[in-house]
Amino acid sequence: MQTVFRSRRSKLLAAALALFGSALAASWVFHGTGVVRNDLARNIYIPEELAMPLQVKAAYNGDRIFFRYRWPARQPSIYHDMLRYEGGKWVRYGDSETGPQPQGIYEDRVTMLVDDGGVPEFEKYGGYITVGDGMRFFTGQASAEAVKAHPYLGKKGQSEVGKHLPETRSDVADWKSVVPEERLAAQRKAGYFLDLWHWRAHRSNPIDKSDDQVIAEARYSDKGKQVFFNNWDPEKKQPRFMLDPDKTGGKIALAWKDLLERKLGFDDIYYMREDQAKPFDPAHGWKPDDVLPRRVLRAGEGSAADISVVGKARWVDGFWEVTLARKMDTGNTEDDKAFMDQRSYTVAFAVHRDSMGSRWHYVSMPKRLGLQRNGDIAAAKFLGEEPRWDQPWSEVKLFYPGQVSWPMLNSAKHAGAEKIRQGVPLKFRHSEDQLAHYGVEMEFNDEIRNQWLASLLAGLLLVAGFAAALLFLVPRKEGAV
Amino acid sequence: MNAYHVMLVHFPIALWTTAALIILLRAFSAGPLARSADRVLAPLLLLGAVTGALGFAVGLAVWPIEAVTSSPLARNHVLFASWALAYWLLLTAVRWRGGEQVWDGLWRWTMLGLAGLGMGLQTITGTLGGYLAGNPSAVSQLLRALGWEVFTTFYLPTWLLAGLVVAAAALVALGWVGRAPRTARLPVVAVDAALRPVG
Repeated sequence: MQTVFRSRRSKLLAAALALFGSALAASWVFHGTGVVRNDLARNIYIPEELAMPLQVKAAYNGDRIFFRYRWPARQPSIYHDMLRYEGGKWVRYGDSETGPQPQGIYEDRVTMLVDDGGVPEFEKYGGYITVGDGMRFFTGQASAEAVKAHPYLGKKGQSEVGKHLPETRSDVADWKSVVPEERLAAQRKAGYFLDLWHWRAHRSNPIDKSDDQVIAEARYSDKGKQVFFNNWDPEKKQPRFMLDPDKTGGKIALAWKDLLERKLGFDDIYYMREDQAKPFDPAHGWKPDDVLPRRVLRAGEGSAADISVVGKARWVDGFWEVTLARKMDTGNTEDDKAFMDQRSYTVAFAVHRDSMGSRWHYVSMPKRLGLQRNGDIAAAKFLGEEPRWDQPWSEVKLFYPGQVSWPMLNSAKHAGAEKIRQGVPLKFRHSEDQLAHYGVEMEFNDEIRNQWLASLLAGLLLVAGFAAALLFLVPRKEGAV
Repeated sequence: MNAYHVMLVHFPIALWTTAALIILLRAFSAGPLARSADRVLAPLLLLGAVTGALGFAVGLAVWPIEAVTSSPLARNHVLFASWALAYWLLLTAVRWRGGEQVWDGLWRWTMLGLAGLGMGLQTITGTLGGYLAGNPSAVSQLLRALGWEVFTTFYLPTWLLAGLVVAAAALVALGWVGRAPRTARLPVVAVDAALRPVG
């Protein structure tokens, strides 16, 4: 009888072990599912790849400084911001959206932030310091109405909270708390700004230029004439310009189908240049699916047009290769950082690809650029007009940053906030892969925290149930210890 | 508090690791050394649980609770630490209640499996603690190869949480159905005898 009973208990023990083992195996296989998903209503889109490589070279000759960038992209995205004629109206396609632009109408970009020491936190924390409260395309971004109504930012033509530096706010956790205008001016004069090199595959590349911007209390174009402007008359709700067929080989508009099928390549007209445009004629017999670019390219003037493309920036065999050059010292001391021999600088890079804009980019940690000084990227000094580019590439890993802001990093939510106060650099405790995953997790922080806590408790309950089973089933004998 | 947490957790790690080695020895040997070592197993496990609980409590005070519950690595550390603690407590209770009979039949391998799982949980917990203390190790690469990226929070989907609750209830029911009567000596499967040195 005892043997029978014992045999039955052994079977029950085996069943308990199998059940417990199955629960553990299922937990291992299905962990991390059920929460992270795209949620466009909350400005959430998670890219398929969280990291990507970028290769960089730099060179200078005492007068000009050159940067060469190379990165992989499945295809070149060179269309941007178009006006399609449909139902008798001009409808915009290719504005900034959450995640990839559905028709693929959003340009690729490479950007580089530069500092010469005027923004000390930048060397340690890179672009994170520019991500403040209420940022555009974050969940819970500040509304356009609120930004336009802000006494200073509204006056500056801002309608979104974009990149800005921490000390341009009296409270980093409040985008509205812009310090007084006189102080902003003094900060700028003292070099408290980041220079932003901003190459755009549509809005600057067809004319072999790069956009040139500056980050201070907001992101601005450098002084002068930007290399593109808007082709839209808001009062008449129509474009201001159309293509001039005499200068475009007979082309008045683009065809919607050509854009969808990506038929227009580098050697075609897929953009509008000021010198190839003429005033819009509403009486022209516009047909459905006629398309006019919503941006017009021009040479630009002044500081805004300092940076040029060297040679041709092209996508070939799965890689973009872009070379930019600028005078080492443009003389524009309040929106450009001057480069000098025997100095080092902090740079940080970003790439937009796959028809994604705004915050859907891949960014780097801050890197040191050395001009005959030690650095992650050694700029080669050369004689002559153009570098030989015979030095090896500097490899930079880029990652998707998610929704991680400077106010959050300095708050009680961040275990490393104290380390930031102590001045410990980002790279001391974090890798690019880690930051990419953290960026995604932060987009779902509340949901993941709840699910984690429930998982912890469910796991404990499972162990308790297993314990009960074992304690019931374990054969007891007198004097067991 | 971080320094105290790091210091304290060395005790449960050492005690539980020793306990696991004793279980390994006893699972494969019924010799005098294995039997002698087994006699200290339950107190060793209990001491491990007490120091483990102490280390856990101090660890929760290292950072503000808001930071702990917002950091993927810290969340994972807390989750695996609590599971490891609960798990070793379970082993303690089983060994305490079952006495030497836990080395009979299927129980012998159950004990070995439990010790292996406990060591696994302890290793993961320690690895995550190492990351948090600024000393990452290559164990994370092994976990990555096995399907878990340690920089992401370990959480389960809701349907599986419900499944775990059901599984826990089923486990209690299984135990209840087969609960052991309190008797004198039950017939012992002859594994011990087989493992005893001949002659």
